[in-house]
Amino acid sequence: MFKFLSSSNIYPLIQKLIRFINSIFFLILVIGLTFALILSPPDYLQGDAVRIMYVHVPSAWIGLACFSLITFLSVLNFIFKIRNFYFINKSIAPIGLLFTCLAIVTGSLWGQPTWGTWWAWDARLTSMLALMFFYFFYILTFKLLSKERLIIKVSSIIAIVGSINLPIIKYSVNWWTTLHQPASIKITGSSSIHSEMLLPLMVMLLVFLLYAALIFLMKYKTEIIRIKKKNIKRN
Amino acid sequence: MISNFITMNGYGLYVWLSFGIVFISCVVVYFKTKKTLKKYEQEFLAELHTLTLEEKNKALENSKVLQQILATSSKVN
Repeated sequence: MFKFLSSSNIYPLIQKLIRFINSIFFLILVIGLTFALILSPPDYLQGDAVRIMYVHVPSAWIGLACFSLITFLSVLNFIFKIRNFYFINKSIAPIGLLFTCLAIVTGSLWGQPTWGTWWAWDARLTSMLALMFFYFFYILTFKLLSKERLIIKVSSIIAIVGSINLPIIKYSVNWWTTLHQPASIKITGSSSIHSEMLLPLMVMLLVFLLYAALIFLMKYKTEIIRIKKKNIKRN
Repeated sequence: MISNFITMNGYGLYVWLSFGIVFISCVVVYFKTKKTLKKYEQEFLAELHTLTLEEKNKALENSKVLQQILATSSKVN
């Protein structure tokens, strides 16, 4: 059913995609940084501290998106037993952990000048910390366990249990009174962020997405080579 | 103007530290990932060289991925 997802079909694409991302990445990074650090206006309340948003928000979004994707692929892997999803998840998890950590650290750096504290045990911050631990344990299964079947089972359970935390992160600012502000950008309904700030944010999101894709492709390529190296004599 | 850009009207420490931490983390992860990939490519090539000519040809014939890895690794090295 998912034959087109086999490594033989995907592998030739990987090198092309890596080259393509490498060719456009630097240009988009320069545009993004110019907007984020120079062209976008300071906030009327937070002043220039608002510029931290351009690294904090994309990091948090990618951290959440990676875990959602891991959960989705884990469920598919449970049903259809597609080994390739296991390698994809293994390659995505470190990227998700990196961006979740960056969201927490940059959030802390944003919190100090705006809230007057580096950290508070508020619902949004605590649930993001929980997400970081879910990533940590998820990656740990690949390091500690040796049998692939067991790794798939344990990591999938962690992913599915961890996915309960995702709506908590999203709606924590609505369900509880938190220091963290509610979402300014909405997929449905009007966003409360000005276009002069939304545009740099979207460009920086693109930069982060391209970087995440680049790291994913390199890690996935490493996984394929590792497997092919193991099976070289059997081919 | 440049001074304002650096100090960010008093928020420079937080803004530059945020961007700096993100930049350094991303650069470190990029080079670490690249190094691991190269290591595996080299180990793969070394493994391929241990095969007899017949085994090597058979392996290459049966796997598109092996052909691709060999082609891209040859370009890299």
